[in-house]
Amino acid sequence: MRRGLFLPVVCTLGFVFLYAPIVSLVVYSFNDSRLVTVWGGFSTRWYVQLFTDPQILGAAWISLQVAAISATLAVALGTLAAYVLTRFGPFRGRAILTGMATAPLVMPEVITGLSLLLLFVAMEQIIGWPGGRGMTTIIIAHVTFCMAYVAVVVQSRLSGMDESLEEAAMDLGARPVRVFFDVTIPVIAPALVAGWLLAFTLSLDDLVIASFVTGPGASTLPMIIFSKVRLGVSPDINALATIIIAVVALGVVVATWQMRRSMRGRRTS
Amino acid sequence: MPDTQTVAARKPWLDPAQKPFVRIQKVTKKFGDFTAVWDVSLDIFKGELFCLLGGSGSGKSTLLRMIAGFEAPTSGRIEIDGQDMTHVAPYDRPTNMMFQSYALFPHMTVERNVAYGLLREGMARDKAMERVAAMLKLVQLTPFAGRKPHQLSGGQRQRVALARALVKRPKLLLLDEPLGALDKKLREETQFELVKIQETLGITFMVVTHDQEEAMTLSSRIGVMNEGEIVQVGEPNEIYEFPHSRFVADFVGSVNIFEGRVIEDEPDFIRLASPEAGCDIHVGHGVACTLNQTLWYAVRPEKMRLSRTDPGGAFNRVQGVVQEIAYLGNLSIFRVRLDSGKVVRATRANVARVDEEAISWDERVWVSWTDTAGVVLNR
Repeated sequence: MRRGLFLPVVCTLGFVFLYAPIVSLVVYSFNDSRLVTVWGGFSTRWYVQLFTDPQILGAAWISLQVAAISATLAVALGTLAAYVLTRFGPFRGRAILTGMATAPLVMPEVITGLSLLLLFVAMEQIIGWPGGRGMTTIIIAHVTFCMAYVAVVVQSRLSGMDESLEEAAMDLGARPVRVFFDVTIPVIAPALVAGWLLAFTLSLDDLVIASFVTGPGASTLPMIIFSKVRLGVSPDINALATIIIAVVALGVVVATWQMRRSMRGRRTS
Repeated sequence: MPDTQTVAARKPWLDPAQKPFVRIQKVTKKFGDFTAVWDVSLDIFKGELFCLLGGSGSGKSTLLRMIAGFEAPTSGRIEIDGQDMTHVAPYDRPTNMMFQSYALFPHMTVERNVAYGLLREGMARDKAMERVAAMLKLVQLTPFAGRKPHQLSGGQRQRVALARALVKRPKLLLLDEPLGALDKKLREETQFELVKIQETLGITFMVVTHDQEEAMTLSSRIGVMNEGEIVQVGEPNEIYEFPHSRFVADFVGSVNIFEGRVIEDEPDFIRLASPEAGCDIHVGHGVACTLNQTLWYAVRPEKMRLSRTDPGGAFNRVQGVVQEIAYLGNLSIFRVRLDSGKVVRATRANVARVDEEAISWDERVWVSWTDTAGVVLNR
């Protein structure tokens, strides 16, 4: 009977450890008190304050733009890399490309950020582009590390795909580019969506690299939160965090549901 | 007009004046150090249903893929309808292929799957849809036009794949294990359907299979492949009754092979001494051989007679004990251990529903065969 009690206890402790901070954060976002740790009654005033704070709204807007654009570019580039790696056979330099494409996965963010900063500065001096740092440089930086994740996700889907589908399309008269858009892309679409969502969250979440390569007027949401927290946690950050949690949770639920549906379709096929 | 006859009846391969439709000349394919196809030359005639038969790794699929254009031959030449196709891309070839996995596009409906090839060809949409509808009718899939592949049964998917490959009216249709994924009953039905469709449309078919029964039922001719080489080409009954080698005899159907030494070599018969059989083997026709040469004699199980009484004579008869009987319904297979120790197979058709006199386990019987029952092989 000891085992019967042991598992539930460990399980509960584990979940408490993981989710108690988040739950308390959500609860305190509705706290009326200015002090984060003292409960002063239910209120939504931090939400109101949040939505009237131009600094936070601006940063959120920049973050969303950066995340959407870099996720899209990362999917395009990552898919091409994955396609080359899975379909072009053992060409010369394949091993190097494999390594290079996935290196950003394990590269410390500080190094990625610093090296990109140095690159942007040098490029500005030599070719005059990018003129100063800001959203463009953040997007470029995010694409470089997000595409590695996309490449990995798409590569596994591509190598699991029945290659005779592509051969069949070619056999029916489609040239390779046509085959790619008519057959390959639709078949690996779930991986593209997953890759996009992954890249989007990674970009939205990134603080270190963005801090290195950003410039005046282009502060992302994580940067604003971080700088605010340094002056003490204010309750409106709790409200912001709660909104982010809600959005992410919704996204996960939708993604899981979508994946279940496509899995069910495939299993019977 | 000779075309009203089926190609199997016309036998164009016997007429040296006939021009082959597909010519494969000295084709070799190597993958690194591995030779998948070795020096294959093959002529296929218009309207044929040609089967490439072989075990896994025999190179039959590689040969098919070279004809479709998915692999380029290391050396040699492939010609279709008089045109050199050796290095033409698959999308420019007048061939279509039906894949073993069917390779139906999972995101398209049955109708769009079948229409895909026509639309890529640049055919107008309404004209293409007309052709698709006619093709779906031919394969009896009209009610399923709007379904996705995963909503179909295995047999239906197989027919979609066939329709998709046929709708462009290719000069040559390539089929890779077309019936492999179907259960036995459906496979038999589909075999005849496939032959009917092939005869209706008059398209040349080339089928790859490892199933010798399938090859027998379908084809006008069979090419048997082993280790990358074509070991024999012939009509089904030729392959079965007149195999050139022990490999072919053994691969196609089951067979009893006795090793023997030539002890008499006459113009109208030869005689072999065979310790393996335990008796002399009398062959009722002349064979090009020399005295004392080692030859093999292959007899099919259905040409072996079993009896309780001595059939008489001095040769082609030997005694043994019934070891096993497998009842298959239409026939029974007997495994008989001869006195020499060799185990032979003999089949008997179950012509009567109840046979009181049936030979049973552990019974001592005579196994015999006529002097025309088997075939002499020298390799």
